[in-house]
Amino acid sequence: MWAAFRLLFAAIMADRAAALLLFVSPLLYAGFYPSAYAGEVVAQAPVVVVDLDHSAASRGLIARLGGVQQARVVASLASPAEAEMWLAKDRAVAALIIPADFAAQIARGGSGSVRLAGHGAHLLRASTALAGIGVALGQTARETAREQARAQGPPALPGLALVTRPLFNTREGYGAAVFPGVAFVIVQQSLLLGLALLAATARERLGHALRLRPAQLVGIALAAACIGLVDVGWFAGMVFWLHDYPRAAAPFADVAIGALLFVSATVAASLALASLFRTRERPLQLGLAISLPLFFLSGLPWPAEATPQPLVMLAKLFPTTAGLELMIGLNQMGGRIMDYSAAALNLIMLALLYFGIALWRWRQPAR
Amino acid sequence: MTGHGFRASAARECAWLWRNPWDLALLTWLPLLLCAVLAWQLSAGVARNLPVVLVDQDGTAIGRDLAMRIEAAPGLALVARTPDMATAEQLIRARRAHAAILLPPDAARRSLAGQAPVILYVNASYSAAAATIQREAAAVIDAANARLAVERIAAIAPPGSVRAAPVRAITTIAWNTPASQEQQLVSLLHPALLHLLFMLAVVSAFGRELRDGISDGWAPDLAALAGKAMPYLAAFMLWGVVAIVWLAGVRGWAIAGSPGLLLAGWLAMYLAYLGVALLLIGATRTMSQGLSLTGIYAGASFAFAGAIFPLDQASSFARVWSGLLPFTHFARLLARTWVADAALAIAAQPLLPMLAIALITAVPGAFLYRRAAGDPSSWGRR
Repeated sequence: MWAAFRLLFAAIMADRAAALLLFVSPLLYAGFYPSAYAGEVVAQAPVVVVDLDHSAASRGLIARLGGVQQARVVASLASPAEAEMWLAKDRAVAALIIPADFAAQIARGGSGSVRLAGHGAHLLRASTALAGIGVALGQTARETAREQARAQGPPALPGLALVTRPLFNTREGYGAAVFPGVAFVIVQQSLLLGLALLAATARERLGHALRLRPAQLVGIALAAACIGLVDVGWFAGMVFWLHDYPRAAAPFADVAIGALLFVSATVAASLALASLFRTRERPLQLGLAISLPLFFLSGLPWPAEATPQPLVMLAKLFPTTAGLELMIGLNQMGGRIMDYSAAALNLIMLALLYFGIALWRWRQPAR
Repeated sequence: MTGHGFRASAARECAWLWRNPWDLALLTWLPLLLCAVLAWQLSAGVARNLPVVLVDQDGTAIGRDLAMRIEAAPGLALVARTPDMATAEQLIRARRAHAAILLPPDAARRSLAGQAPVILYVNASYSAAAATIQREAAAVIDAANARLAVERIAAIAPPGSVRAAPVRAITTIAWNTPASQEQQLVSLLHPALLHLLFMLAVVSAFGRELRDGISDGWAPDLAALAGKAMPYLAAFMLWGVVAIVWLAGVRGWAIAGSPGLLLAGWLAMYLAYLGVALLLIGATRTMSQGLSLTGIYAGASFAFAGAIFPLDQASSFARVWSGLLPFTHFARLLARTWVADAALAIAAQPLLPMLAIALITAVPGAFLYRRAAGDPSSWGRR
């Protein structure tokens, strides 16, 4: 068993492509991937304004927009058609259109309505910019309410006011919501592709499928699990900390158990799949492209409630799905392992199922 | 064989693919399967029935009214009603709910004075669901306010004081009225998958010749290189068309601009990745390394394209890297000609950087590859 344990490390060190996949890629991706989200929240999204009213009220609104952090006025245009052109050219993601009767409506005690348009191809930026414009509108509304009150008595305020508070990812950072999930897809892909590449290479050299005694397979699985645990520790301990993502919310023991479950299922699945390949390069050819669908199926970037039920069932077969739920729950949201008993059970079942398949696939032929 | 290089080379590649079903899979059923899974998953477009908890510490008609409205809201589903915030938080932690709406004690009395706070706690670790819930909850509160204004405040307030809000906004999302994420996500995810698969297939095709040693007198002059790439270009262009037909034809996300330009964009993107593939394999002369580098270069395009999350505030490294990815430019073209209808000169502008990448990588790539192909001592590397 321990010979097999050492053998895996020796095999990785002797094979540059395997070392790249198993050792270097988690380092590389950790440095490289989060840089795309370094801004964390959308700021200063470009906005155009069309002021058809030219009143004190409309100018006041535009001036307030200048003080808003989410949006930045890039141009003041003459007509809504021109604003649409700016959106089409990608030079702005949202437009504020103030119609000609804005001030007059307010003076009459009615509602001065403005039109907001967001760009349909940039939903995140557009909705942030619109939220920023909303802040400026709110300030204008309070001010105009006072003016109206002088003429017509105080207005009744709406009964309820909604206040939104984010939980767990309290700064609502984009990278902080995406990367803690992506990291576990990276860990799985690194183990799967690295082990499959080694197994296929061995099979090629031997000319027939590699046979292992159960003790040897356990030794290899333990060695692979060590690599997986170091990967998880590296991401959850170092990389999340470095980027100030929410982390370490649950007691260490819970996170460690979660990591162990995720790594066990991942290693078992990797060993089972690795037995299928006959050509060294094949796992890379076929496996690299599945990362993106795996991440989407995990339920993080797209809610499972909005996913067709058969796909939700299919997703449970991949360790990333339950693994992400468990690790984000423990690490970001501060739940305990029992809060995610379904995900934990899912991982245990996968570990047993895939390890069973691996034992059967790698077995010695009956003599 | 060199004389009629292009056609013979294309035919040779097709024949080879026909004999090797796993290589054929990379341009047939694997793209279909992966694209279909994503298309199916996102076909709902907007999330519905996201579970929320109502924490009613007030215990009056307002809470009952909110509960009814939450149930009626298409995006929300009420999973529990409890007076206890800790219970709600536990439900959110255990992922049985995505959010809690807290109605504090005394809300009914304070609503008479106006602006009684109702607090929405959303699980921001799952930001996609959180965004939908915020929109839906705002609508629920607006509707509840409208009723309160009529039933209660009007009864005790002096006539004339119940007025509409002094400033109102009518919000539209240009070119995407239901603010569905299906068009944005699927129109970007399909090319993100297809360009990666395309590059893997092309790196494999060219890398294989060096790995196995060039046989049957295949001479990699420029015509033969083009002929070898042709089956891949044709197959993946076809998948591009299928992706467009699915979203524009079947799902009804009509193309605002020019379909011809969109297809030109797909072609330019593939040509750019073809150039990069040739360069990677020419430089490494090793199929496995070429494939690994492909994973790094083309595997994270979706994050770096700046299409979902802008790169304006990212590091200069991220911005430069993003500019070097043809997919970034393709995403711009997509926004300008599928979603919006920009003037042709503006919409077509991203074609230039894609063609530039194609040219800058294909020229040294072809040179290096031909040198490797002409040097049998460099063959057989694994």
